[in-house]
Amino acid sequence: MQPRRQPPPAPRSGPGNPRPTAPLLALLLLLAPVVAPAGSRGAEDPGQPQDAEVPRRLLQQAARAALHFFNFRAGSPSALRVLAEVQEGRAWINPKEGCKVDVVFSTERYKPESLLQEGEGHLGKCSARVFFKNQKPRPAINVTCTRLIEKKKRQQEDYLLHKQMKHLEKPLETVSIPDNHGHIDPSLRPIWDLAFLGSSYVMWEMTTQVSHYYLAQLTSVRQWKTNDDTIDFDYTVLLHELSTQEIIPCRIHLVWYPGKPLKVKYHCQELQTPEEASGTEEGSAVPTELSNF
Amino acid sequence: MRWTLFIGALIGSSICDREKFFGDQVFRINVRNGDEISKLSQLVNSNNLKLDVWKSLSTFNRPVDVLVPSVSLQAVKSFLRSQGLEYAVAIEDLQIYHEMDNIAADFPDLARRVKIGHSFENRPMYVLKFSTGKGARRPAIWLNAGIHSREWISQATAIWTARKIVSDYQRDPAITSILEKMDIFLLPVANPDGYVYTQTQNRLWRKTRSLNPGSSCIGADPNRNWNASFAGKGASDNPCSEVYHGPHANSEVEVKSVVDFIQKHGNFKCFIDLHSYSQLLMYPYGYSAKKAPDAKELDKVARRAAKALASVSGTEYQVGPTCATVYPASGSSIDWAYDNGIKFAFTFELRDTGTYGFLLPANQIIPTAEETWLGLTTIMEHVRDNLY
Repeated sequence: MQPRRQPPPAPRSGPGNPRPTAPLLALLLLLAPVVAPAGSRGAEDPGQPQDAEVPRRLLQQAARAALHFFNFRAGSPSALRVLAEVQEGRAWINPKEGCKVDVVFSTERYKPESLLQEGEGHLGKCSARVFFKNQKPRPAINVTCTRLIEKKKRQQEDYLLHKQMKHLEKPLETVSIPDNHGHIDPSLRPIWDLAFLGSSYVMWEMTTQVSHYYLAQLTSVRQWKTNDDTIDFDYTVLLHELSTQEIIPCRIHLVWYPGKPLKVKYHCQELQTPEEASGTEEGSAVPTELSNF
Repeated sequence: MRWTLFIGALIGSSICDREKFFGDQVFRINVRNGDEISKLSQLVNSNNLKLDVWKSLSTFNRPVDVLVPSVSLQAVKSFLRSQGLEYAVAIEDLQIYHEMDNIAADFPDLARRVKIGHSFENRPMYVLKFSTGKGARRPAIWLNAGIHSREWISQATAIWTARKIVSDYQRDPAITSILEKMDIFLLPVANPDGYVYTQTQNRLWRKTRSLNPGSSCIGADPNRNWNASFAGKGASDNPCSEVYHGPHANSEVEVKSVVDFIQKHGNFKCFIDLHSYSQLLMYPYGYSAKKAPDAKELDKVARRAAKALASVSGTEYQVGPTCATVYPASGSSIDWAYDNGIKFAFTFELRDTGTYGFLLPANQIIPTAEETWLGLTTIMEHVRDNLY
């Protein structure tokens, strides 16, 4: 992976603007909720409210974007949520401005390593308004969710995670989390959860109407000692963008303390143009130890 | 449960007890004198490399066969080179091709392993042909897997399905009646070079490994390389892109091998392509928003299949035409199949919906394969009952 030609985006840090929790439920009551049939088209028609045929995909992507933002704002690696099911939604397309989506969806706790199936575990509910500005990332999001985990429990788990991070033995550098077979060692879960939290911020910021990201793998981690008990670490993640199928490496720097807003700075690599002659071969994935020879 | 355990369990006693996984290679090493023997012994006895001597030393000037697990490949190669030991790679991709061979050997009246071509790096392309034999060029079904190498659940589901077909024939009425009327061709690894690359170098590699003149970027997207609106919307002309369509349609030998085989056979009625991830079951078109003439029927069948799939573990799939359901994609396999007279053309995007994505854990392989099986048989039953 080579350094990119373009300068990195201005580092962003801080929790983002505090948003008033819009009376979204009230708003949705005024609108007739419309059940979106799966697989139908219609979002391309310009300028009209799409009452009937809202593509399910658009609603799902809006819900996911809302969840990236929600997870980041909640700032709790123990309270991460993922999309369970889209329940209803509506979209407005304005070719000059962009696309606005109202969506109601259920969520479940993010719990890899458990064979989570329908109905297992508690389901939360969220309502979101997501505004994708034309060709611009960082959709404007208002999202409210019902509580999924009791506040005290969440705090306890966050403090436990904090303690686990502080007591990590090895400095850890090149890692693969999950490993190539999808396994996350339990001792590495705290790192993964924090990385997922930080990546949520990055994924939200990069999302556009056409670009949607998933966290594929964590490939390096480095934790820094701090004076003030915060968790401070640099890591590299591989994000998977769906429409281009690209794998995008991002370096992320994260500072966290339970209950405090998350601080994130990041830089993601861009796709190589055909002219760039630098090597694209990924480095050997396998560290080799041959100290006897 | 690790993928290695899964493979071990799947393959059973036909392979020696050490667990293996895809990408292991057999090195044939020449030893010419006592000094080389002692160097080789050093290598073999080193614990962390986990080497396995297959054919051992008896005299000088006889080669020694050593099984090298894929994780140790680099280390062993470096060692051999630095010590001046001559070696050649004798067998590659033992496991999946070996298993195909086993299936054919275990069920010779039903299954045969057929070579349909080779990859860019000259690996064989093998399909399993399942045929109860009565009549030549019977109506046939093509099951395609592993065209995108990082989608490991695809190859794994395919090989599980191969075992399922032979095990259930004459036990389960559905597959038995399907095979009475039609042949099934299964290609578990449509992109062998990419697959080996995901095991040895880069787990998230997608494309083939062909060279692109004038570019340092390697490979084309084999699912943008078919002759169906080639180089249209939803593909890239940048060799560095993950959806690079290649210099021309069928430029990728892996794709051409399948096209040539299917065209020569001339009687395929169904083409199913297995991918991951997203949990979708789709039908043409990807290259445009236009409705396929058979869209209504295909949609109905797909919904039935998705329902059958969901009945196993509750896994929900969405159904629809490719372009609207996921994104525009030109030069795709099922669009080519459909536009070439293969009406029942479907793409499965298997588990999951993004929690693990390509890195689906091993404990989800069998559940995925089992539910997908119901989806596949639903489609194949419909084909059987609606031959044209």
